[in-house]
Amino acid sequence: MSTIAIVFRKEMTDNLRDRRSILVAMIYPLMGPLLLGLLFSFVGSMLKTEHGPGRPVEVAVVHAENAPEFTRFLEAHGVVIRPAPDDPKAAVQRDELPFALVLPERPAAASATPLEVTVVTDPARLDSIVASGQILDILRDYERETTAARLRAKGLDPGVMTSLRVMHENVGRAANLGFMFLNMIPPFLMFTLFIGGVYLTLDATSGERERGSFEPLMINPVTRSQVLIGKLAAAVVFTLLALAVQVVAFWIMLHSIPREALGIGTLPSVMHLSLLVPVCVPLAVFAVATQLIITAVTRSIKEAQTYLGLLPLVPGIAGMILVFVPVKVHSFLASIPTFGQTLLMGQMMRSEAVSWSLIGVSVLATLAFTLALLALGFRLYEREGILFPS
Amino acid sequence: MIEARELYKSFSGVHAVQGVSFIARDGEITGIIGPNGAGKTTILRMIYTVLAPDSGKTLVDGIDAELDRRAVQRRLGVMPDVRGLYPRLTAREHVRYFGELHGLEAHEIERRTAELVDTLAMADFIDRRAKGFSRGQQMKVALARALVHNPHNVILDEPTNGLDVGTSRSVRELLRRFRREGRCVLLSSHIMQEVAALADRIVILSDGRVALQGTPDELRESTGVDELEDVFMAATMALPADRAAPAALGAVAD
Repeated sequence: MSTIAIVFRKEMTDNLRDRRSILVAMIYPLMGPLLLGLLFSFVGSMLKTEHGPGRPVEVAVVHAENAPEFTRFLEAHGVVIRPAPDDPKAAVQRDELPFALVLPERPAAASATPLEVTVVTDPARLDSIVASGQILDILRDYERETTAARLRAKGLDPGVMTSLRVMHENVGRAANLGFMFLNMIPPFLMFTLFIGGVYLTLDATSGERERGSFEPLMINPVTRSQVLIGKLAAAVVFTLLALAVQVVAFWIMLHSIPREALGIGTLPSVMHLSLLVPVCVPLAVFAVATQLIITAVTRSIKEAQTYLGLLPLVPGIAGMILVFVPVKVHSFLASIPTFGQTLLMGQMMRSEAVSWSLIGVSVLATLAFTLALLALGFRLYEREGILFPS
Repeated sequence: MIEARELYKSFSGVHAVQGVSFIARDGEITGIIGPNGAGKTTILRMIYTVLAPDSGKTLVDGIDAELDRRAVQRRLGVMPDVRGLYPRLTAREHVRYFGELHGLEAHEIERRTAELVDTLAMADFIDRRAKGFSRGQQMKVALARALVHNPHNVILDEPTNGLDVGTSRSVRELLRRFRREGRCVLLSSHIMQEVAALADRIVILSDGRVALQGTPDELRESTGVDELEDVFMAATMALPADRAAPAALGAVAD
């Protein structure tokens, strides 16, 4: 058995007995799917049950009696009129109502005057936005129909009042709300890639030094790079294990949320998911190589931990920005480790056609960076002082 | 046989070892003794290849460590000062890990482990995890894994440090057995009584230099002091100066 395999096996045995390593590799990855699942279910159920299309919209209307024609129109369009409290603004502010309509205090004097309607909303609340959005559509319909009727009564073509008709045709996929939800997943995968094997790396390098076991280990007829490769291989396996746990958890989560309500159409196919392998495996090695450098330049487990905890935030934040500011993938961006992978993972999540050449660029660039990091890390570990606990 | 020739080593301006030479012969126990900070551990680390000397060389069985480090490592069994065990591995797994790294076959490792369990009286904790081991148990595990490949040369840094009387005694018996088997044993200590009780040859270090070396009798003779502890005190307190050392050294030179 080669030295690398011996060290690898020892680190696997050792760390599979470590509750902390297991926790980080098996339990932490579940947090993302759990949190996003709760968020999606909450948002989805709100969009679906209360104000989803085809369901009656309940509206609190103040002074409904003053505009009987208007209220009839609303009811004809599936709106259920509820009596409003005395102070509708306070009621919306206190979350008692999603929103309210306020009609004039006196009945309209002449039929040709405009009807003043105030919509009281709270844009900080999702249910307020959704419900008032539906009612605004109905209000616009009312305005158009009433104006047209008035024009016809005067013998005019209603068309003269319409100088512009704006039509929306959405061809961008990422603009869709559902895609925004799916774009939230890659940052979590990225986080797991950088955190999944971190305790193993920490234990096998800084821990080994701090315990004083690195010195006896290196008195054996082995080279430092053989020993380090064995340790890093074990850390990569733990990272990929954590990633696999998380991907499965996301898969289950996506199948158990109200997808139609969230606007999530198709879920990534197994073919798309299998593309995660070329995208993530080189990145797992890259992450572990970065961890190795950090353990090499820090003096204790505690010091290393400080930086290792911050490390996943760097690629994670880039991914969070991409949730809101989608970027088109091209080869320069694909070649940046972590950033390229976030973009590619986003494409997979949205079931878009993924370009093999971009995946190729990402794999090669990440491997090149990884080799450079490993070369640096191995050099740092050749220093004499590194063997001894300080 | 272990040989140190004119070893020098400094760490960021501090001269830790300054021209140390000695020979540890086969079938003998050689003790390096000196006050804390005299350079004992640094010298041993250079011999067991984890530190490179600034100048000078170390040889094990005539092999220059600089030229063939692997060969030197295969001939050495080393127990460093810090025992450095893995808390989640059992004692047996520690021994197996080092056996494998030395390229031993599984059955060979099993056979050696059985022997070492017997020799070091490890039967009641060999399959327990190292977390919570007493200092004696830790020392035995560290020693067992250092000896798994049956090395001809054995180096022990502060072997009985922190051990109870019984365990110290069994370590001493083991080292005497190694001597009978013709092995070369090199140990360090800061306690003269321990070295006096064991060593055939003593190297007294002070401030990174050899203050005195020779057999216990030679040391007594050259200094005119009967008690070895007094020899030690005389050598380390008075001698680091350039005056007294040459005379004393001349008398006991190899």
